[in-house]
Amino acid sequence: MASLSGDPVLEFGDNIEDLHNNNIINGNTNNNKEVIDKASLLVRGEENITAATSNNNKEGGERDMAPPATNSIHRSGSRPQLDLSKAAIQGNSEERDPTILLPNQSDDISHLALDIGGSLIKLVYFSRHEDRSSDDKRKKTVKERLGISNGNRRSYPILGGRLHFVKFETSKLNECLDFISSKQLHRGGIDSHRWNSEAPANENAVIKATGGGAFKFADIFKERLGVSIDKEDEMDCLVAGANFLLKAIRHEAFTHMEGHKEFVQIDPNDLFPYLLVNIGSGVSMIKVDGEGKFQRVSGTNVGGGTYWGLGRLLTKCKSFDELLELSQRGDNRTIDMLVGDIYGGMDYSKIGLSASTIASSFGKAISDKKELEDYRPEDISLSLLRMISYNIGQISYLNALRFGLKRIFFGGFFIRGHAYTMDTISFAVQFWSQGEAQAMFLRHEGFLGALGAFMSNEKHGLDDLMVHQLVERFPMGAPYTGGKIHGPPLGDLNEKISWMEKFVLKGTEITAPVPMAPPGTTGLGGFEVPSSKGCTLRSDASALNVGVLHLVPTLEVFPLLADPKMYEPNTIDLSDHSELEYWFTVLSEHLPDLVDKAVASEGGTDDAKRRGDAFARAFSAHLARLMEEPAAYGKLGLANLLELREECLREFQFHDAYRSIKQRENEASLAVLPDLLMELDRMDEEARLLTLIEGVLAANIFDWGSRACVDLYHKGTIIEIYRMSRDKMQRPWRVDDFDLFKERMSGSKGKKPRPHKRALLFVDNSGADVILGMLPLARELLRRGTEVVLVANSLPALNDVTAMELPDIVAEAAKHCDILRRAAEAGGLLVDAMNNTLDGSKENSSSVPLMVVENGCGSPCIDLRQVSSELAAAAKDADLIILEGMGRALHTNFNARFKCDALKAWIQLHSLPLQAQQQKPLCPSEEAVE
Amino acid sequence: MDLQDDVSNQQNSERGSQISHLALDIGGSLVKLVYFSRNNDSRRDDDNEQRSRNECLGVSDSDTCQPFLDGRLHFAKFETSKINDCLEFICSKKLHLGGFQDCTAPSSENICVKATGGGAYKFADLFKEKLGICFDKEDEMDCLVTGANFLLKTVHQEAFTYLDGQKEFVQIDHNDLYPYLLVNIGSGVSMIKVDGDGKFERVSGTNLGGGTFWGLGRLLTKCKNFDELLELSHQGNNRVIDMLVGDIYGGTEYAKIGLSATTIASSFGKAISDNKELEDYKAEDISRSLLRMISNNIGQISYLNALRFGLKRIIFAGFFIRGQAYTMDTISVAVHYWSNGEAKAMFLRHEGFLGALGAFRSYEKQSLDGLMVHKIVQKNPSSISSAGDKSCCSLNSDSKNENENSGCSVYGM
Repeated sequence: MASLSGDPVLEFGDNIEDLHNNNIINGNTNNNKEVIDKASLLVRGEENITAATSNNNKEGGERDMAPPATNSIHRSGSRPQLDLSKAAIQGNSEERDPTILLPNQSDDISHLALDIGGSLIKLVYFSRHEDRSSDDKRKKTVKERLGISNGNRRSYPILGGRLHFVKFETSKLNECLDFISSKQLHRGGIDSHRWNSEAPANENAVIKATGGGAFKFADIFKERLGVSIDKEDEMDCLVAGANFLLKAIRHEAFTHMEGHKEFVQIDPNDLFPYLLVNIGSGVSMIKVDGEGKFQRVSGTNVGGGTYWGLGRLLTKCKSFDELLELSQRGDNRTIDMLVGDIYGGMDYSKIGLSASTIASSFGKAISDKKELEDYRPEDISLSLLRMISYNIGQISYLNALRFGLKRIFFGGFFIRGHAYTMDTISFAVQFWSQGEAQAMFLRHEGFLGALGAFMSNEKHGLDDLMVHQLVERFPMGAPYTGGKIHGPPLGDLNEKISWMEKFVLKGTEITAPVPMAPPGTTGLGGFEVPSSKGCTLRSDASALNVGVLHLVPTLEVFPLLADPKMYEPNTIDLSDHSELEYWFTVLSEHLPDLVDKAVASEGGTDDAKRRGDAFARAFSAHLARLMEEPAAYGKLGLANLLELREECLREFQFHDAYRSIKQRENEASLAVLPDLLMELDRMDEEARLLTLIEGVLAANIFDWGSRACVDLYHKGTIIEIYRMSRDKMQRPWRVDDFDLFKERMSGSKGKKPRPHKRALLFVDNSGADVILGMLPLARELLRRGTEVVLVANSLPALNDVTAMELPDIVAEAAKHCDILRRAAEAGGLLVDAMNNTLDGSKENSSSVPLMVVENGCGSPCIDLRQVSSELAAAAKDADLIILEGMGRALHTNFNARFKCDALKAWIQLHSLPLQAQQQKPLCPSEEAVE
Repeated sequence: MDLQDDVSNQQNSERGSQISHLALDIGGSLVKLVYFSRNNDSRRDDDNEQRSRNECLGVSDSDTCQPFLDGRLHFAKFETSKINDCLEFICSKKLHLGGFQDCTAPSSENICVKATGGGAYKFADLFKEKLGICFDKEDEMDCLVTGANFLLKTVHQEAFTYLDGQKEFVQIDHNDLYPYLLVNIGSGVSMIKVDGDGKFERVSGTNLGGGTFWGLGRLLTKCKNFDELLELSHQGNNRVIDMLVGDIYGGTEYAKIGLSATTIASSFGKAISDNKELEDYKAEDISRSLLRMISNNIGQISYLNALRFGLKRIIFAGFFIRGQAYTMDTISVAVHYWSNGEAKAMFLRHEGFLGALGAFRSYEKQSLDGLMVHKIVQKNPSSISSAGDKSCCSLNSDSKNENENSGCSVYGM
């Protein structure tokens, strides 16, 4: 049981100030160093309480002015941007709203757009989400109570769905046509095809397309698919695509210096103006001032076509990629004339040119006696690449300077996420701007045109999507295919698995890292050989970076975030390699156990085993890929990594791996709940509050969902373990704001504070955690007249309790407790009971309601920028937030500030933020309550 | 021998009036020489010199106390890879010894010659060993600017514009010369903002320069020298190999963004899609495409830099140009295109010798500083009718006897 002791941390506050936050971190750090197992105390200053109170008053005032009926207006206050756009759409929605929802008319919507370039065809297509059951009674009642009208949804022509990005080689146009045909994309996708299967192909079907091939291949499309191509202007599309990506995807843009990729978060309101440099065969430089407002200000004829054209003539390479690949092993010094060559190895430092600066590209080919055959193709390719990249970087910078543009985004087929190319361009921009300007790149750079063409169909209403409504997911195949063009669409699961098996065989070959050229000399700056980190960069890196964009219009920003713009959910930055390694190990070690559980949850059938195997391979491959290049899928935080695992499970149709375990834990816990409640009721208020908090911490020990925990359930009774660990929660905890919390709850010096109006309880695990920890706390709050909203996952993640499961748990608990029963009735959770009561009784009920809302995610962590609309609605009236468990209170949201009082509580198992304890075993050793 | 003594005496006694007879600019691909010969030189072994001497008006300026300053500045160049030719040339003309002493003179005399360019460092030992001279190294940029300023201020009809085959000399008001952008196109390209005598800053440059043209050209065409490659470009048609806007948009102009169908969208872009190999392209076309790519690029970057600093004049110089009409035309068009006609490219007749001239000038600033335009008269050897034409700067690998194809007479003060 010693293993159950830990470092409880209780942190309480509202508008947490930096000072205090630092204290917490320092406190943690110090204590951690001195006595790992010793708890610590940290009390917030008085001013916090004051701030909290005044804040509450203010909020109270607002509430008074805004009666519940005008809830929607109230909501608008926190998200003005969305409301503005909504207004615009609603006007239009009068005309076209129903047509979109009717499958028969979905032919109007093109679900496909193409960018047909000289070498690649880029496809962007859309598939709708299968509508999740909305007959769920809980949801219905929650909606009524929280005043969410379904009408909001109708303002989005797209009810939610996915944007897919696919590439084909232009030379393999037939594959592309087959793909479109098999998915019925030209008829609005398979969804609508199902409805229209009898209908003849629409004569008037039109696909938006851009790029030179839109002209060239129009006839073939007409002939093969019976669709006409509606040609969109290339520049228009590029700009529209870039604008959409920069506004809608949080970590779309990144810098790339010396092999290091860093994502840049761009405020969508401060995006313009910028310079968009599209490097295709030639180079276009476009000054973008706003939506549809742009001007081609410059360009150069030395572009991707020059690289490939000259490269082909000089090296006999058969493909662009081959040429690019060669460059990675090249040494341009054999062919370029460097400053050092002219100055006999010396720098020309007077004008800031180091010896390794390229004075003249291909300049050495003059003086040497060598012929073309005497040069290595690798060296030629590198020399060409640097010549062209530097030149583009330089001209871009000069143009940015000319128009006073702060940002330069580079895109186009020449770059292809090629690390060296990006480094070279970045170098040039940095060199010429003397560090004042930075080159930025886009993850979806190859798809700007296609996306823009897609956007040009106004009916999609994509313009109005906000960042928080988009979730990017990475298909499980990505690590294997390298994102390369693949032929057949993967329809069903079986196809996926066999495809996975197929690629596992080829996998190593495909993903073998390409060694980079050794870093060259460094000097005062100039056209150095950009050094690249490690040997992990490969030419096709960018292709991996594009996932499927899920559009979820119902997602919103959590309204109680104090500063949504500055909010960063992840506490642990996995760009720190040691952190990544630690988590990689944790997840890898846990994987076999997880697979066992997942397979067991599906009855252990052969099919389940096969799927489990495929899942393990897919996830391992993702992990391996991320170890190689942490930024492969965008900015990587722990939350993303954990969610990736859940997504991966779902992809192989393991919808709830912990189903039976959760059930067992719930039953065991519910059995002992009455006993616990009786014990609590015997205590006086002060003692009870402390015991409750200790109970929350104690119950969170059952967090890890590991074998150790399962053993606990087998031995002894759960209440014994619970009590034992509760007794171990000796204050002071590692971070201990209990006194502050107590004061806010019970007051001091006989002054009784006003109770909170509504508390949001973010629950964590099933079993003891929610039933013996959070429910009793909820009950205490209800008793004090505070409405309680239990916030739980929308989809299963490990053993976390879900919003679908909670009503049953509450109903079971309510059987033994009046407080819970009345509150649950008031909250509409006890549907059956409600039906049996007279209508009036609900209104007469004196109890404040207990409700359950889903949080909108299916991960052990939570990103408060993307929560369900019901949670957002519930948060309107909330003035207390309780975050429980490591995933939501430590790994994410440790640094989150809220507009109202917030309590964070967790038992710490793995490692402290900002300070990895890599040797820690995966077992409870610390706990923390905040 | 007397004469040599004479020089020595001057060196010892009259520092203010001494004139060294040689300065070098040793670049990555070419060695440029400027040397001085006096009109009363008793050892005229050159026909041109002979003739020009006769032609030279013996302007006597009563103010001057340096009568021997009457003379001529000669310009010569060699490929850097054939540095030995250059050494031999110097030796044969005894330039390092003031043109009068035997080649066999002991090297211990510690003769100093002004030199600039990277080769001044790289080949210092070689010159010491072979000719017994040490280099007095002058800063490259200093020399370029000094040379350009000197030419622009003192030589009539030095600068000209070139557009659509029309060459037009520009008279620059000496008091309104600065600031200007000096673009020196050697192996690489330096862009220098000049604000006055000795006041300048290297603001930019590009690694796509003459070396790139010649280097890539050599690899692609097997041409044996720079001039051959340039010559080829005259007969070439870059449309065979460049991707034009019209190629992408099916022959129609992409008028929306102001690109005509003949605008080059991507240099060498057609080499992608064709099934042709290198051998299937004509060397002429390749050369033309290369030349346009590099000229255009230099023109564009130069204009952007001029714009950035608000400079009205862009003066192009350096050996890449060589008075090549087509090169100048392309650069001019690029500047014209990108500036919407607001900026004009200008060229210098002595474009290749700025550095060497600047180094030469650094011997004794005061001795030439006072020179006014009217005291300098350019004489071209009769074989060359119009300076600024390509022939002006032909590069012959075995050009020992043909090196002086451009002369400049300097009258005493």
